[in-house]
Amino acid sequence: MAAEKEIWQKIGEGFVQEYYNQFDNTNRMGLANLYSPNACLTWEGSPFQGREAIANKLVSLPFKRIKHIITEQDSQPTIDSCILIMVFGQLQADEDPPMAFHQVFMLKSQNGGWSCTNDVFRLGVHNIPV
Amino acid sequence: MSDGEYDYLIKFLALGDSGVGKTSFLYQYTDGKFNNKFITTVGIDFRERRVIYNSTGPDGTTGRGQKIHLQLWDTAGQERFRSLTTAFFRDAMGFLLLFDLTNEQSFLNVRNWMSQLQIHAYCENPDVVLCGNKCDLSDQRAVSQDEARQLAEKYGITYFETSAASGQNVSEAVDVLLDLIMKRMERCVDKSWIPDGTVRANGPAGADLSDGSDRSKCAC
Repeated sequence: MAAEKEIWQKIGEGFVQEYYNQFDNTNRMGLANLYSPNACLTWEGSPFQGREAIANKLVSLPFKRIKHIITEQDSQPTIDSCILIMVFGQLQADEDPPMAFHQVFMLKSQNGGWSCTNDVFRLGVHNIPV
Repeated sequence: MSDGEYDYLIKFLALGDSGVGKTSFLYQYTDGKFNNKFITTVGIDFRERRVIYNSTGPDGTTGRGQKIHLQLWDTAGQERFRSLTTAFFRDAMGFLLLFDLTNEQSFLNVRNWMSQLQIHAYCENPDVVLCGNKCDLSDQRAVSQDEARQLAEKYGITYFETSAASGQNVSEAVDVLLDLIMKRMERCVDKSWIPDGTVRANGPAGADLSDGSDRSKCAC
């Protein structure tokens, strides 16, 4: 079934592409523009609220270079006309070994554009006691 | 050899700034190779090696060899994204603290790692071996052997100059750490201080370790 992609899928993919492009190829401060003013970020369990706090967190991450590779992404429309996105991929910081990560975004249509209201990030590292 | 055939399971944790060579160091120890082209270590958070430990008595006699299953845990850079929590340190019995001899900042951060250890490890003075890694890159050296030694002396820990690339002193550093752990175990009469999971004893040689009744001594 090669149906035309749903609109929320196109919006989700566009956002994901823009987000990681900014993350990997700019000074990361520009990421602030993708978030709504009161957006929430949960980064490895730590909460950050507001565009400025979020941008500061992302800018302060201690590596020079980072590259994200998206393995899969899924998008859904919500009952209140937002878009829920789940991203599953790998990242590599400087010369570290690559690590898996998961990230979930909620997008809301505001002032004629889409901005991120919620963002949850986790590394896919399982320190399972053996 | 079946998986269960060992006397003790001992977990070590490699610590230090990103890029000091923790993963290469452990790879060199377990596989005897230097791997500077990582394909991926996704999902692999530790490496393993079996060793035989021969305790030596005060008279120089060698006791029965103990089969040790060493698990070497690696942070693999996750410390850039999240602080290493107590849960991460909790299960480790000994610590390999690495810095990069060509990177002064990584040496200055040894103090921070030591305080992290004092907060999060199972006790305030866990067994630690300090390794100045990348000693093969002598033309780029930024930390002298003397200042590294002085710092190690201040903390009362052993110092090695190592190279994950050439293998220099890699096994020696791990051997010294294992020796410290085994000596600590021998010193402890009731062994009730041993944190859950750091040492798993198998068979009659260490059956007393798996007996958790000592925990009832807790005053709370």
